[in-house]
Amino acid sequence: MAGSAEATVATSSRRALARGPGRGILTFLGRREVLPTVLIAPVLIFFIIWNTIPTLWLLGLSFYRFSLTSGRPPIYSGFYNYTSILNDASTWFDLSRTFIFVVLAVGIETVAGFFLGLLFWGSDRLPGRRVALTLLFAPMVVTPVAAGTFWRLIYDPTFGVLNWFIRSLGLQAIRFLSDANVAFGAVLAVDVWMWTPFMVLMTLAALASVPKAELEAAEIDRLTWFQRFRLVILYHGKFILMLGILLRTIDAFKTMDLIFDMTFGGPGTATQLIAISLFRSAFESFNMGSSSALAVVLLLISIAFTATFLYVLYLRERRTSYA
Amino acid sequence: MSKETDPAMDAGTSSAGREQNRVGRRRLIQGSAALGAAALACPRYAFSQTEKTSPLAGKSIHMQILGIAGWLPSKLGVDMSPDFAKYVKAKYGYDVSFSFADAPFGTLFQKAATSLATRSQEYNIIISDSQWLGALATPKWIVQVNDIIAKNPELNIEWWSPSIRTSYQVFPDGTNKLWGFPQVGDVYGIFIRKDILEGPGEADAFKAKYGRALPTTWEDFEAMDYEEWTDFIAFFNRPEKGYYGLAAQYSREYDAASCPTMSVMRSLGGDVWDPKTGQVQGILDTPSNAHAMELYKAWLKYQPPGATNYFIAEVIDAFTQGKVFSAWQWMATGATMIPPSLKDKVLVVPPPSFKRADGTRVRNYIIGGQPWVINAFNDPEHMQVAIDFMKWWYLPETSHEYLMRGGMPCDKATCSRPDFDGINPWNRSYKYMLLRSSDFWHDPKYSEMLSDQQDAFTGYYTGQIADPLHALQWTACVQQKILYDEGTAMKAPTGACSGMRL
Amino acid sequence: MSERAREGLYHALLWLVSLVFFAPVFWIALSSFKTAPQILAVPPIVFFRPTFANYARLFAEPAFQHHFFDSVALSVLAVLIAVAVSFLAAFAFSRFRPGATNFLMFLLLSIRMLPGSAAILPVYLMYVAFGWKDSFVAMTLFYAMFSIPFSVWILKGFIDGVSPRFDETGIVNGASWFSIITRLTLPQVFPGVVAALIFNFIFVWNEFLFNYIIGGINTSNIPVMLATGLSNGGGIDWTFLSSLTTVYILPPILMVYFFQRYLLVGMTFGTVRGEV
Repeated sequence: MAGSAEATVATSSRRALARGPGRGILTFLGRREVLPTVLIAPVLIFFIIWNTIPTLWLLGLSFYRFSLTSGRPPIYSGFYNYTSILNDASTWFDLSRTFIFVVLAVGIETVAGFFLGLLFWGSDRLPGRRVALTLLFAPMVVTPVAAGTFWRLIYDPTFGVLNWFIRSLGLQAIRFLSDANVAFGAVLAVDVWMWTPFMVLMTLAALASVPKAELEAAEIDRLTWFQRFRLVILYHGKFILMLGILLRTIDAFKTMDLIFDMTFGGPGTATQLIAISLFRSAFESFNMGSSSALAVVLLLISIAFTATFLYVLYLRERRTSYA
Repeated sequence: MSKETDPAMDAGTSSAGREQNRVGRRRLIQGSAALGAAALACPRYAFSQTEKTSPLAGKSIHMQILGIAGWLPSKLGVDMSPDFAKYVKAKYGYDVSFSFADAPFGTLFQKAATSLATRSQEYNIIISDSQWLGALATPKWIVQVNDIIAKNPELNIEWWSPSIRTSYQVFPDGTNKLWGFPQVGDVYGIFIRKDILEGPGEADAFKAKYGRALPTTWEDFEAMDYEEWTDFIAFFNRPEKGYYGLAAQYSREYDAASCPTMSVMRSLGGDVWDPKTGQVQGILDTPSNAHAMELYKAWLKYQPPGATNYFIAEVIDAFTQGKVFSAWQWMATGATMIPPSLKDKVLVVPPPSFKRADGTRVRNYIIGGQPWVINAFNDPEHMQVAIDFMKWWYLPETSHEYLMRGGMPCDKATCSRPDFDGINPWNRSYKYMLLRSSDFWHDPKYSEMLSDQQDAFTGYYTGQIADPLHALQWTACVQQKILYDEGTAMKAPTGACSGMRL
Repeated sequence: MSERAREGLYHALLWLVSLVFFAPVFWIALSSFKTAPQILAVPPIVFFRPTFANYARLFAEPAFQHHFFDSVALSVLAVLIAVAVSFLAAFAFSRFRPGATNFLMFLLLSIRMLPGSAAILPVYLMYVAFGWKDSFVAMTLFYAMFSIPFSVWILKGFIDGVSPRFDETGIVNGASWFSIITRLTLPQVFPGVVAALIFNFIFVWNEFLFNYIIGGINTSNIPVMLATGLSNGGGIDWTFLSSLTTVYILPPILMVYFFQRYLLVGMTFGTVRGEV
């Protein structure tokens, strides 16, 4: 193995060298002390301009009372925005609703995605496999505005396909988006539809990351399917899967587009997730101070979650190359 | 009376002449042909003989209008601006070109506000919703037009109804400060399937069931109140035949549930706030208003099951697809409500009156429609063009053209035309309801107050909240706090409000 | 049950799952060939005479070409810039491990955590202050920023998997770092690059809010056109919606089809570099 690797290296290097080494500025930049900075600099610049500055601005704004349409300049008020948000019962209701949504959505998507991924994993001989997978991944790439509007139509009691089907079974039409008890589930279902394919993708990737050699060894050792699953597949694939869960959780927390098009938080407040409250605060009330404070709070929650998650993940993960 | 001149002929001596000197023969032929065609299409303008030369003569100005996407009257304002360009070219001697930004209704204000907040003159004229006047005027993002009207008496227009001025121009309520001009007037009406109404046997069956004649004429409907209407839509509520009695608006989106509800409240004698004191509690949360909500909710019985999620678009779909017999809808959507398949089959009538305790029957509905406002940050040139534009818009010829293309003008002169009623099926009801409709809050906090109110109203209509009075009390508390924090309301919310949950 | 029958059932099940997920998308595509009343018809119409009028109208619309071009240009450029820049940074993180590596990687991830509505106002104010509103370049750079975190994470994973021996041999033979990066390492992490490109492309492709508020005529992409053209006379323009959506979804779907293998490998974040 090593010999062939070196041979490959040597060939590639030779080919690369055929074009000759760089001179001048590139050589300077190529010095070991300077190079890392140079390489990271563009990303850092992007980050500072497009992320750090806005975040700091947001942070600063959160300490002022400022209504964009009042014509009055911002008034410094310390932690007023934070206390009023955290004292407001509706904030907590929205947060808990969001929490439930995220847990359910990510949970269902992960479990369903995982099982579907397993299903597809062994399907090398499936006719038209590529097409089937492409169709499966389609929900992820539809424009959210279009998806939301069409799902609204699908759910409609009068015009919708679902209710037509339900009525033809003799049952009464379900008001998916206008019945407070059902609306939450209906919106959740659309999110699941849209993002389960993502978890399928992550599962397939996770399964791909399981070294085949170990799988074969497990088979040879006559481990039961369950043991193979637990000791080999889950053990190795866990990392990618967790990463997928992390990404999906971060995104689910921000869910707004779908709800915006389907129910806008209604009926009543049944589907009001925290991102919608934020939107309303910023763009309906134009209460910039308060919405900034809420944004900071959400950011902190997200950071806390991610930090904990990654810490635990890396702690238990033996692959040092990612440490 | 000034002589009516053909602009094309006028142009032959002035602008087209100058153009001819500058460009080649081919351009000339094209240009004349275009002018000729335009002259045929363009309304005839009366030019007065003595006209001051505009300070802008010889210049070329570019204007940008921000309008509402997919809303016909807003689009007309924009479609007709080439006529304006020809007009000012001939009259004042400057060139103007237009570009248009349009934004979906729900996010138009955000786009306008974010632009104006940076003092940008990106949008020189904005078509805003009437309720946002306060939000745009308070930070002085738009121009107060009193001075403009004083200097340009043509803009001191007599409107068809006093509520036009208060709804589309005045802020704060009760003062004389004007901030915009009505671009389109809009009121509620009920669209009825005349073909079903006049079907064989209907009149007899109705008479047999209710003991009175089936209403068939506009006058019949004008006389009907809520109870009579309830019988009427109940009679035509035929799910077994594939159509329901009515489609109306109850959704959480924008002001769908609020506008009809407030209309019923006001018709019954209640109100939603006191503009002078900013007081909401005690005014909004009354038994009368709660009763109003019950009445509006009661009509859900005769509507398709998804009606609690209906806004303008859904009502249009329900009506045009024949799923309902009648629809409570904004008249500005008239052209879309009556597609070619329903041509001549639709009657548009005023919505019901409500009987008050003293026996009188009253209609006091919420007005829709949009004014246009002028960006306060326009430089003097753009400002002048904007003013010229307004003056042109309210010329009788322009109003008439606007009307003919499906627009909804508000000035008395155009509305009094003898041929007004015949132009669109809804015009007669439009004139009638304009006299009986008015606006609600013009406060800058409008958007926030509305959003909370929508939570409460839709909560009640979807059955989440059992007691309408409780929904109103919660709303009144929240709105009182908003107005109090803002400084508009004198009194703070009462102690009963703390801890109140919807 | 025989082995063949079992496998047949298994395959049928897989196809069923795919079709179920695809069904709503299929419905949208089908609707694009119908007239508006047909779209709204209940019972749903499955057999009908298709019409191409919707597409004819769409393509004749001058705004369409402009918006489509903007969509393509924004997405492609933003993603290329992002991946290029991310690749350099990922290489540095992987090979040189500056002390702040973990912290910076984490910080990059935090970019994705801020809800859009929150980020938009400060970015808007900043853009206006710099005069970048309605600037194509500024919009592209903004989208590039959004694409960086994901790209860095994927690429770092892949570069970690490329043996440093390659670099060492390169240096020993006198190659510049630039050559090493572009000619030695890059070809080996190609799946990661492709995955990063495609994933971020799709995100920018479908982005609405920032383009709407911060952008303008020079940057408007199709989602903006979709939202704007959605309403027509107060009603929803179903034919417009379905035809535009169908056209717009084609490029991403084709990408997912043709680059599927790379996508799958790419999402392993570098733990697999060969075939899937």
